[in-house]
Order: sequence, then structure tokens, then C-alpha cells
Amino acid sequence: MRRRSWIPNTLAAVFCLVWVFPVYWMINSAFKPRPELLSTTPHFLPTSPTLDNFVTAVTQDNFLINLRNSVMVVAATVVLAIVVGIFAAAALSRFRFSGRRIIMVVILAVQMLPGTALLIPMFALFNSANLLGTYYGLILAYLATTLPFSIWVMRGFFIAIPVEIEEAARCDGAGTWRILFSVLFPLVAPGVIATSIFAFIAAWNDYLVAYTFMQDQSHYTLPVWLASFTNPVTGTDYGGQMAASVLFSLPVVVFFLIVQRNLVAGMSAGAVKG
Amino acid sequence: MTVQSPPALTSKSDAPAPRARGRRPDFTPLWLLTPAALVILVVTIAPILYLVYTSFTDYSQRTLFTGEFSYTGIDQYTTLLSSSDFWKSLLRTVLFTAAMVAGSMVIGMGVSHLLTRLGKVMRLTTTIVLILAWAMPNVASSLVWNWLFQPGYGVVNWALAQLRIFGDTTSLNWAGDPAHAYAAIWMLVVWQAVPFIALTLNAAEQQVPTEYQEAARLDGASEFTVYRVITLNFLRPTLLLVTILSVIWDYNVFNQIWLFSGGGPDDATSTLGIFTYKTAFIGFHIGQGAAISVVTTLLLLGLTAFYIRNLLKSGEDL
Repeated sequence: MRRRSWIPNTLAAVFCLVWVFPVYWMINSAFKPRPELLSTTPHFLPTSPTLDNFVTAVTQDNFLINLRNSVMVVAATVVLAIVVGIFAAAALSRFRFSGRRIIMVVILAVQMLPGTALLIPMFALFNSANLLGTYYGLILAYLATTLPFSIWVMRGFFIAIPVEIEEAARCDGAGTWRILFSVLFPLVAPGVIATSIFAFIAAWNDYLVAYTFMQDQSHYTLPVWLASFTNPVTGTDYGGQMAASVLFSLPVVVFFLIVQRNLVAGMSAGAVKG
Repeated sequence: MTVQSPPALTSKSDAPAPRARGRRPDFTPLWLLTPAALVILVVTIAPILYLVYTSFTDYSQRTLFTGEFSYTGIDQYTTLLSSSDFWKSLLRTVLFTAAMVAGSMVIGMGVSHLLTRLGKVMRLTTTIVLILAWAMPNVASSLVWNWLFQPGYGVVNWALAQLRIFGDTTSLNWAGDPAHAYAAIWMLVVWQAVPFIALTLNAAEQQVPTEYQEAARLDGASEFTVYRVITLNFLRPTLLLVTILSVIWDYNVFNQIWLFSGGGPDDATSTLGIFTYKTAFIGFHIGQGAAISVVTTLLLLGLTAFYIRNLLKSGEDL
């Protein structure tokens, strides 16, 4: 056995090289000056690394405005999903009542819908309600998917709290609401943080809804800005695009590493789609 | 919605909640659920009902300005079912989904098993690489793919040219030809799907009791037989769930296709998602788009229902 351990290690090394390559190439390209990017033999390391591409990206028209839009909409979505969701999650995990199962089915089913199933009716409804192109509309659209899934994930964290803790508080004379606010919510805090991160990633990464609903460039969010990143004079500016991709992906990667241990549970509820 | 139904307390003995012993009906869950129920009702349930309703109307671009549309019965559905574009999109979606699921499951299972055979350092390295690929937002990875496969300066074309098998591939335009476009998008989706599959399966694989495997090895079974007969047997429930989830996700893949090939060339990579989007938001035949969306959802409903049932069953045990 021991003698053959080079086989799995070699396979893993090959796998890692292939799998990390796109990420490495994105970072590598982000630091290359234009002549190195557009050369017929690729440079595997930038020979004269530069930050120019990052400067191009952040000084692009609308970058700051679109960043602000993203932060605003995502923050509102996360806060609303958590504040509204935490009570529902408590109800679905600490109580038994009729209709509970059907609510959970609805919550899960929403995650499995094709994107257009909500996009089309929302577009029509928002058009009549004058919500198209507004941040309120975008936040509502994001809540449609993040709220159900936040409820589901937080429910999992509530279930993990032993019932005995609650019973002890009840024996000490605490009422239902007191137990909720002073016992359960503090205990579920780490789960709330993990859930917020999932909700953040889902809303931050959305391209389709913002691209469809927001009708002028100053209202776009970062993913739409990123996808439309082209230089009007020279065509696609790959260096700028890769630098912008690095900047856009960075917060998500950092957050992913933080919630790494909870990722699998969140994914199976449809948190971050591939 | 069912939320409105009175949350009459059941006094079932299996109820885990301490309040189940209360004497008078406890309306607490109703209060707790109301805000979320209202939001879900407005932003999720209502739109879904409206989608179904719209699919029976001639809602179109004109409607967006005048607000006028009329009920047309099942016209949208008959138009759809007699449209060859729909059937072609459906076929593409089914075949491409199968290819993506097969690819990511096979590689994911391989990597999951590989992880169990690695030393500490290599295992950590592989896990980090997996998380990196997983964490990349798909808008960013789609752009990276465009650049990797770019005709002229893309590193993939350069590497293929170095192999000297396919001739000079330097200016090969991947998005310009159906087979190449599919291949590139397949790689993109599989690249992002493998981490979840590999890490989930690996978590399950670590729970497989080693006694069985050791006993089989003592009986002279080869490593492959041990994997096939013992490990796979233990992995079966996880494999089933991961496969279903992969089918649902890959069936709904949109951004990667949209940003890599835009559904082209000539609709060659136009799957159901792209077809719906183009119908509803480029042609603004919203009624027709709604009908496609309803059919798309119904086609997957069986699988979705099965998955949810499974998830709920495992959730009840907690």
C-alpha cells in the first residue's frame, strides 16, 4: 500500500493543476500589461507586472455607482431575509402545527424552479406596479429566492439546539417570547452569520434579474457591469475584465472560506447554484 | 397559502417541541410565520400563479405599454407544442444535461475517492483548489472562459496548437461552432459542479465503516472491488441525492451558456432556458415565454418532488 501512494498523489497533483488553472489564469492575466496579454505565446507569469488593469477597472464609468447599487441591494436583501426569516425558521423548527409540512415543501420547491419561472411574471407584475428598474423591485426579486432558502438553512441551526435548554428556561419561568429572544436567538447567532453569507453570495452573484430588470447602466449591479465590461475603442479589454473579475470574486471567495464547513448543508437547500 | 390555517397544536407524542404539552392552543407559530408568509405570498406564490395565468393569455410587448391583453385559452401551448424550436431546445437541454451530469458525477466520484487516499498536505491542497473553483461567481468564471478560449490569444488554443495533433488551432473560434461551444460550456459547468459533488461524497465516504473494507481486503478483494461492492453501496443514498440535485441545476443552467455563446451559433446552444429568455425578453412574447417556462417546470416536477420528499424525510429525523 505505502509503496503505491505516489499514484493518488500524482493524480491529485494533476487534478489540482487543471482545476486551479482558470483561477490562476484570471489572476495572472489581471496583472499583465496589454502587450503581454495579446502575445501569440502566452506568458505564464507576468514579466512586467502592472496594476494598470485594476486602475482601468475601478476608474471605469459606473464602477463606483454599480458597486454602491450592489452593496445597497444585497445588504437590504440579506437584512430582510434574516429578520423576516428567523421567526419563520423558529416556528418551523420548535413548533408542530398543521400545515407545517406544506410550508416546507413550498420553501424547498422555490429553490428548484428555473430562473425564468419567477423572472417572467415578476417582470410583468413589476411593469404594472412601476417597480421595473427600481432597487425596491430588485430587492423583492432577490427576496423571492433568498428568503425561503434562509428560512430552510436557519431552521437547520435551530433544530441543532437541544430542547432541554428551552425546557430549563421554561422551568425558570421564561415565556415563549422571552425564550425566543434571550435563549434561542443568541444560540443560533453563528447560524445566522452563515445564513447571511449564503444570502449575500446568492444576491451578489445574480446577473439575470438585474440584467433584465434594470434598464440603464447607472442602475446596474456589479455582475451586469462585469459582463458588459468592454472598451468602446479597443473592443474587449481582457486585462481589465480579468482584473474586474478578481475584484468581483474576491469577497465571495473570502466568504466561502469562512462558511466552508456549512457549505454542503447550504448547497443542498439550493443556496449557491452552479 | 396554508399558513393561514390555524396552527392547532397537535399533541402527538413524537412532537419534539416542549410547547406541544400546552393546554390551550398556542398561536405563537402563527405570529412567527406571518411576516415571512406575507413576503413569500407576495414575491413567490403570487408570481408563480401569475406565470400560469399569463401562459393562457396573449401578453406581449404591447401589453407592457397599454396593459391590455386577452385570454386565449391553450393557444400558447398548442403553438409551443407545434414549434420545432421548442422540441429542438428540449432535446438539446436533455442531452446536454445528461452530458454535464455524467461528466461531473464521474469526476466528482473519482476526486471524492482520491481524497480518501491522500496525505494531509495534498488533501488540504486539493480541498482548497475545489473551494476556489466552487466559489467563483459564474459570471466571472464565464468571462474567464471567454478569455481562456479566446481565438487568437487564448491559452487553450495555444496549448492545443503545441500538441500538433489538430494543426494550427490558434484562431479557433469556440463560440462559433456548435460542437466546440458545447465542449467549452460543458467544461465550464463541470469545472464548477465537481467541487460540491466531490466534497459531499467525500463527507459520506468518510462515514463508511472501515471494518468492511478491511475484511474484504483480507479476503483478497482488489481495491476496485472494495470500492465497487462496499464503498459504493454505502454511498448510494448520497449519490442519489447529489445526482438529482445535479440534474436540477444543470437543467437550469443559464448564465454560462448566455455569456459564453449567447445560445449561438444560430441557436445551436439554445437550451430551454435560453429559448424561454429570448422568447420572453427579446421577442417580448411574454405569454409564450410563460408557457415555455410552465412546461419547463412541469418536466422537472417529478424529480423535484422526489428530491423534496427525500430532503424532508431526512430532515424529520433531526
